[in-house]
Amino acid sequence: MRKTKWKFIGVMLLIVVMILSACGNSGESGDAASQDKIKIGFILSDSGTFAPLSENIKNGFKLYLEQNDNKLGGREVELIFEDDEANPQVALRKYKNLVGSEKVNFLVGPISSSVVYALRDEVEKDKVILIDANAAGNDLSWDLRSDYVIRTSFSNWQNGSSAGSYIANNIGKTAMVIAPDYPAGQEVASAFKESFEASGGKVVKEVYPKLGTNDFATYLTDVSQTNPDVVYAFFTGSDGIRFVQQYNDFGLKGKIPLTGPMEFGDLLIVEPSGDSAEGIVSGIIYSPWIDNEENKQFVEAYQKMYNKLPNTFSVQGYDSALIIDKAIKEAGSVDTEELVKVLKGISFDSPRGPITIDPKTNNPIQNFYIVENVKKDGQVVPEVIETIENVTMPETNPAK
Amino acid sequence: MSIYIVQLLTGVAYGMLYFMIAAGLTIILGVMNVVNLAHGAFFLLGTYFAFTFMSLHLNFWLALLLAVIVTAILGIIIEKLLINKLYGKELEQVLLTFGLTFVIADCAKWIWGTEMQTIAVPELLNSSITIGEMVFPAYRLFVVLVGCILAVILWYLESRTRVGAIIRAGVDDRAMVAALGINVRLVFTGVFAFGAGLAGLSGVLGGPLIGMYTGMDSDILVTSLIVVVIGGLGSWKGSFVGAILIGLIETLGKIWFPSLSMLIVFLLMVVVLMIRPQGLYGKVVSQ
Repeated sequence: MRKTKWKFIGVMLLIVVMILSACGNSGESGDAASQDKIKIGFILSDSGTFAPLSENIKNGFKLYLEQNDNKLGGREVELIFEDDEANPQVALRKYKNLVGSEKVNFLVGPISSSVVYALRDEVEKDKVILIDANAAGNDLSWDLRSDYVIRTSFSNWQNGSSAGSYIANNIGKTAMVIAPDYPAGQEVASAFKESFEASGGKVVKEVYPKLGTNDFATYLTDVSQTNPDVVYAFFTGSDGIRFVQQYNDFGLKGKIPLTGPMEFGDLLIVEPSGDSAEGIVSGIIYSPWIDNEENKQFVEAYQKMYNKLPNTFSVQGYDSALIIDKAIKEAGSVDTEELVKVLKGISFDSPRGPITIDPKTNNPIQNFYIVENVKKDGQVVPEVIETIENVTMPETNPAK
Repeated sequence: MSIYIVQLLTGVAYGMLYFMIAAGLTIILGVMNVVNLAHGAFFLLGTYFAFTFMSLHLNFWLALLLAVIVTAILGIIIEKLLINKLYGKELEQVLLTFGLTFVIADCAKWIWGTEMQTIAVPELLNSSITIGEMVFPAYRLFVVLVGCILAVILWYLESRTRVGAIIRAGVDDRAMVAALGINVRLVFTGVFAFGAGLAGLSGVLGGPLIGMYTGMDSDILVTSLIVVVIGGLGSWKGSFVGAILIGLIETLGKIWFPSLSMLIVFLLMVVVLMIRPQGLYGKVVSQ
């Protein structure tokens, strides 16, 4: 009997606490001070192979806030995170919630290009600024360009073309290209082909495995039979790790040099691939060993906060916060049209080097670094061989 | 020519991984009548445990052994604490094991993060074998070998030992086994732990091939459930044949009909179910 009584009192107390805390919440949001607060909505992908990308973007963004007293442009910031499941339909639903109910000032995201194309029409209509922290689809800078979408990452064109001429001039004249059969794969591959052949190289074979192929036995056998001077491959995430590892397993490592875009020089793939990643040459936008003052401080602060090294996606998140901070300060308001004016053409010093948002493409003009993965103190790290300054995306599709 | 041999061997290697995980699943299903949807999670845990042991500078073989043991122990704990309470309640079991997959997957995310990882191929097998113009990684041949050895062990256990006799009897008539004075609870725990250990083994051996990523548990679960259905519930021999079949069809399908590869796998399942509803090696259950 006594026991039941105590239980009853416990439950009642719990209910009271819950009601009180609910009141506290609603009281806060009606506060006058919150008018100065800005809300930032994130549409990222939290499941599957996109999850680590999202996590690193969030980490980078939060680090910038941590360093700036949780303020951007002198205003308190509230972050709201949504998961789009890498699906444009889900993303649109989350978008409606963020823009319609939460009334966010900025959107940050997404990972996938199909999502960014879906969101693009909506932000154009609702006039909300979307900071594209990752999706690299070319058309976002060409046919589907919008003043309300500013990219802080890079485009597939930049990623594919960066290493082409270095490879043709220094590694080999005949190349075999392997990339997954989806828009990003084709965009990176064709940008590579364009720049590689412009420098006197020749692509002798192109193969496009279906997206989701996780065993490359067939293609690797094909490589050894085609016997090109060099292999250029584009794979992301766990597919990338598997490709690098299987390239080694099939005895091709050390026989035919492997090259690729930034993915093959990024820690997300290099670290887990271990010795298999040694010797790969790639064109990257960021590594923790890029030598500049911003990067030194960034790496130190990142390691302190997360106890690991930052990768490309961490920087993309960090720069997304930085660009919002700088834009609000320069515009002196959070008015969308004022911000758009400032964002187009804005310059800042990123840990990856100096960056300017090209007002013609809304895409960053940035340095690419040709790196070779070398073994140092038992660990494989990307070592910079050459810096290609101010890689700028063409204003229109060069293939058209 | 050589390209076909490479493809065949690759298909068989993947088939062996499916076999290891499906064998446990099917035995658990046959003996305990539990559809263990958390079986994919044991696969995932096996890989991650081995990864952790290897990052503590243990070598691959020791990590393999420890990971299998730890996964099996975890199986015992889960059986004793949770599944134990729900024998005979199929719906509750499905909910429980399905819920467990989420809990385990999220714990794994929390402990090991979302970053993709792999297990390095052990030094001993880090080479490729050249036959004519064909190059094939030694590690994949090793996986095929382990699968075959496991099949032999299972055959021996089933047909030559007392434990095997009890398990065979358990599949046929559970009540009778209990009536004969055999401790069914103990058998159940043992079977569950054995199945979990096999899934863990598959995970560790799959580490250098498939890698580790969030969501791998559900990927592998779907495939192994298909293997179990094709092979016949409760029959490890069925799993052996079914797994190799699925491994081959998946590998070859991805090359010849890339957009249909998953469909072909399901088509095979439909065809098998139409011709032999009990699966290739399944027994007709009269109820």
